[in-house]
Amino acid sequence: MDKKLGVYICTGCGIGDSLDIEKLSKVATKEYKISVCKTHACLCADEGVGFIKSDCEAEAVTTTIICACSRRIHQDIFDFADKVVERVNLREHVVWSQPANHEDTQMMAEDYLRMGIVKAQKSQALDPYKPAEEISRVVLVVGGGVAGMTAAIEAAKAGTQVVLVEKEACLGGFSAKLHKHFPVNPPYDSLQTPPHVAMIKEVEVNPNINVHTSAKIQKIAGGPGLFDVTMEQKGESSQFRVGAIVLAAGFVPYDATKLAHLGFGASPNVITNVQMEELAKKGKIIRPSDGKEAKNVAFIQCAGSRDANHLPYCSTSCCMTSLKQAIYVREQNQDTAAYIFYKDMRTMGQHEDFYIRAQEDEGIFLTKGEVVGVKAIAGDNLAVTVENTLLGENIQIEADMVVLATGMVPVTGIEMVVKEVTIDDASCEQEQCSQVSSATPDETAIIKSDILNLEYRQGPELPQLRYGFPDSHFICFPYETRRTGIYAAGCVRHPMDIGACMDDACGAALKAIQCIELTSHGKAVHPRVGDMSYPEFFMQRCTQCKRCTDECPFGAINEDEKFNPLPNPTRCRRCGTCMGACPERIISFKDYSIDIISSMMKAINVPEEDEEKPRVLVFMCENDAVPALDMAGAKRLSLNPYVRVIPVRCLGSVHLVWITDALSKGIDGVLLIGCKHGDDYQCHFVKGSELANTRLSKVKETLDRLRLESERVKMVQLAINEYDLLPGIFSEFMETMEKVGPNPFKGF
Amino acid sequence: MANVIKPDISVVKEIISSGGESLKKCYQCATCSVVCNLSPDDNPFPRKEMINAQWGLKDRLVSDPNIWLCHQCSDCTAYCPRGAKPGEVIGAVRKMTIAHYAVPGFLAKMVGNIKYLPLLIAFPVLFLLAVLGATGHLHIPDGEIVFGHLMPHTLIDMVFVPVAMFAALVFAVGVLRFWKDIHGQCKCSLASLIPAIISVKLDILAHNKFRKCEVNKGRALAHMGVFYGFIGLAITTALAVFCLYILGQHSPYPQLSPLKIIGNISAIALLAGITLVVINRLRVKAQAGIGSYFDWLFIGVIYTVVLSGILAEVTRLMDIAMLAYPIYFVHLVSVFFLFFYAPYSKLAHMVYRSIALVYAKKNEKKDNPFSV
Repeated sequence: MDKKLGVYICTGCGIGDSLDIEKLSKVATKEYKISVCKTHACLCADEGVGFIKSDCEAEAVTTTIICACSRRIHQDIFDFADKVVERVNLREHVVWSQPANHEDTQMMAEDYLRMGIVKAQKSQALDPYKPAEEISRVVLVVGGGVAGMTAAIEAAKAGTQVVLVEKEACLGGFSAKLHKHFPVNPPYDSLQTPPHVAMIKEVEVNPNINVHTSAKIQKIAGGPGLFDVTMEQKGESSQFRVGAIVLAAGFVPYDATKLAHLGFGASPNVITNVQMEELAKKGKIIRPSDGKEAKNVAFIQCAGSRDANHLPYCSTSCCMTSLKQAIYVREQNQDTAAYIFYKDMRTMGQHEDFYIRAQEDEGIFLTKGEVVGVKAIAGDNLAVTVENTLLGENIQIEADMVVLATGMVPVTGIEMVVKEVTIDDASCEQEQCSQVSSATPDETAIIKSDILNLEYRQGPELPQLRYGFPDSHFICFPYETRRTGIYAAGCVRHPMDIGACMDDACGAALKAIQCIELTSHGKAVHPRVGDMSYPEFFMQRCTQCKRCTDECPFGAINEDEKFNPLPNPTRCRRCGTCMGACPERIISFKDYSIDIISSMMKAINVPEEDEEKPRVLVFMCENDAVPALDMAGAKRLSLNPYVRVIPVRCLGSVHLVWITDALSKGIDGVLLIGCKHGDDYQCHFVKGSELANTRLSKVKETLDRLRLESERVKMVQLAINEYDLLPGIFSEFMETMEKVGPNPFKGF
Repeated sequence: MANVIKPDISVVKEIISSGGESLKKCYQCATCSVVCNLSPDDNPFPRKEMINAQWGLKDRLVSDPNIWLCHQCSDCTAYCPRGAKPGEVIGAVRKMTIAHYAVPGFLAKMVGNIKYLPLLIAFPVLFLLAVLGATGHLHIPDGEIVFGHLMPHTLIDMVFVPVAMFAALVFAVGVLRFWKDIHGQCKCSLASLIPAIISVKLDILAHNKFRKCEVNKGRALAHMGVFYGFIGLAITTALAVFCLYILGQHSPYPQLSPLKIIGNISAIALLAGITLVVINRLRVKAQAGIGSYFDWLFIGVIYTVVLSGILAEVTRLMDIAMLAYPIYFVHLVSVFFLFFYAPYSKLAHMVYRSIALVYAKKNEKKDNPFSV
């Protein structure tokens, strides 16, 4: 069916009062020869929607251009099933932020209509990606601890088949090492049986869960819906296909041998909190040196945590663990004393109640302070010296046992040296080489932790954020790792207690199910949920430069032996970073391409220099910056009238050719507004705005070639709540444009 | 240099059982030190006392003059986010201190424990009954009601002067030990203390410290009633001794004699004061806490003394011998109780607090942060 455009202009919400609608309509009807151009007083009302529907029917319109409010509003109302809908924002971006019935306001509205029409003309109908093979709906859970078992149980309850892979011989994970667990249920004041006991039973009887213990993942190839897993179990190798993966591989305690400054190694009576659990589990808490009952036990918090030389972060549950273990000691004998020396007592949320419970015990002595020494003294005892205590003095305590509250290291943060494992050689086992210190030189490097062994061009495991924890957009999409379809949960994601692990696992399981469901429809997962476009590669022109495979934040693109990119559309998040990267411009989406945006830009009417109406083009990130602009409009903030905004999927998708094109067309300056990047990035595609920033640093050469000032191109970082900064950002840039003068390319 | 610390669970338990049951709730946020009018910048009072108490560091607590500078205005208790009631805990620590310095220790223990109350009451009752029986006075005398007929003045003096002297002696021992602990040595030139003593006495007379209380407003007035009531009654007693032994006049005195007027006014002041104390305590119990047995025992004794005194006088004037004499006997018992147990009871605060205030005053310009 031929594409036929229909323009529908809403005159409600002040649009009709601020603009010359007849003149605006002429842009469509005269300039672009679109025969169908109608106005309506309120398009979003039932009457308006009915009007569009019947008019489309009558005029055989296939693509509607709704000129009304922001595209973020009324998506459900302007949804005409088989018709493509393009939106032109006349409300927030024009009439709400510009003076009514002004020449410049009219020009702005006309430009936005032109861009909308061009985009609609150039966009092709979407054809969602459907792999040749059938999508698997099985969820693979890696790790049989509390988080892994919860994810398996929750996914199974939702009717999904689950394969649970655990490297140990039995399920339970770290929880199985615990004597008792601190409370995770109201009234949060008494010790509980660790939750894994009940879970193991549930997992074992659930027909939807297929458990493999003493098993490890040798290889995972493919992508969401099509992950091909090779698993090794007791020397046997097997292969199966899954749709999505929950990574719940947990943590290992920080290596206490590095804590000699706290007495570890100097005396057998200095133990870790893990060893304390083992003692408690055996029944009686006795000193390792002589088997005597421990009567004065000192707990040292943050042992190797929140310490620049060890783990710089807080593991969140060690305070609770020590309070719990102090109660073990006290329950054993009411004459015993338990000392807890803390940097800060961190008992999150309802755990405060448990802290109060432990505090009430008259034999638990707590003080903030800095432990500066643990020395072995007579009788196998230990002298613990603490400075800056709440007692207002430096104190020394004689203890017969010292417990170091060590923190958590995610298993993804531990580099393993893997011997070549062949399927035939079953006796071969991997060996743990060394724990990578937190200060890995290249913080973004993928640590070869031998957990997932992904067949991804960018590396075999998940990219880390810091300290070995998998990278994720932790504000908005905490479970989403940078490998689509793989969701991290529990202590491998960040340190947490068992209760939080269970919550986390539910979230990750849900994400995995959603991923399979969306993938089966050819739709994208977060953050462009439901997007049915995907990048297509015009391979004839590919130069094997590897930029797309390198720069994809999600490792979606593999490559063959000749370095040709091998796209995996189900791994793709549709950010367009590859499109922005490709020097040959061979990557495009059906509704988002180099050509579409270039054409939209070219549709902008650039006045001659003597009209003194400069033009600035703004590439704005759809995720946070465009909503901020909508908010600025909704707040009726006055914005510069010479600015033209083109929403982009991510600043990472901005191609430098757009900037050159814009400047050579006579546009005076180009502004890029996107999410914050760096350590606390807010980019929805993790690396997009950072990449844009890097690419922009190279645009100067191009500008020099055009003999243009580098001030003409600028990138600004904006958070979604900083809408109030937009008027200032625009006017400041416009002042710079005034200083550098009009673009000499105007009129060419 | 780090100080070797040995926490003592039994001390913690002792404080908890004597009115500081909220002690362990403290999590050292120092809100109390911020709201406390006494707490200076460089000495986090009462936060530090709270952790010393939580750790059972008795030697640090009993020799801490600061706990006596606190007038339990209860601002700390009212503002404590954890309900640790520092005011109540410090009160319990004061009780522990009184018991620590008083000899013999077992009496202090008995005064602090409700279990021994019947025994404590039985002692003066039986003792006085024995004295009356031995001297042949164990009956209600006939004729005009003259309390001297029940217990002659000489007998009163023979009983109560030694009782007072016993109390004074116990106090003296306690004070010396206390001074040694807070001052670090026993010796101190008395002359050097005189300016401090005068200043502190003036402060006490004017209740200057009390006026700083916020939550517990009105306590200054209540305490003044009790305080001046007692002073008035002390003057009355002195006058009575003067009348008896110098002028040779025997009681009862005419109602309009200066001695009677002072005595009656003082009794009423005492009654009004102690009633205000009770009302105040009930009024602020939610914010400040209701107080411990130790406090209420003292209140009860004062009530018994003042009510039995007034009622004895009233029934005497109404000429009801059957009531007047027994009530007078109760009065004698309660006064005996008050005097004899004074070094172990809350009354001892007047001694230790005065000493601590003098110490603080003396060191004011040197290192004491608690500037008065």
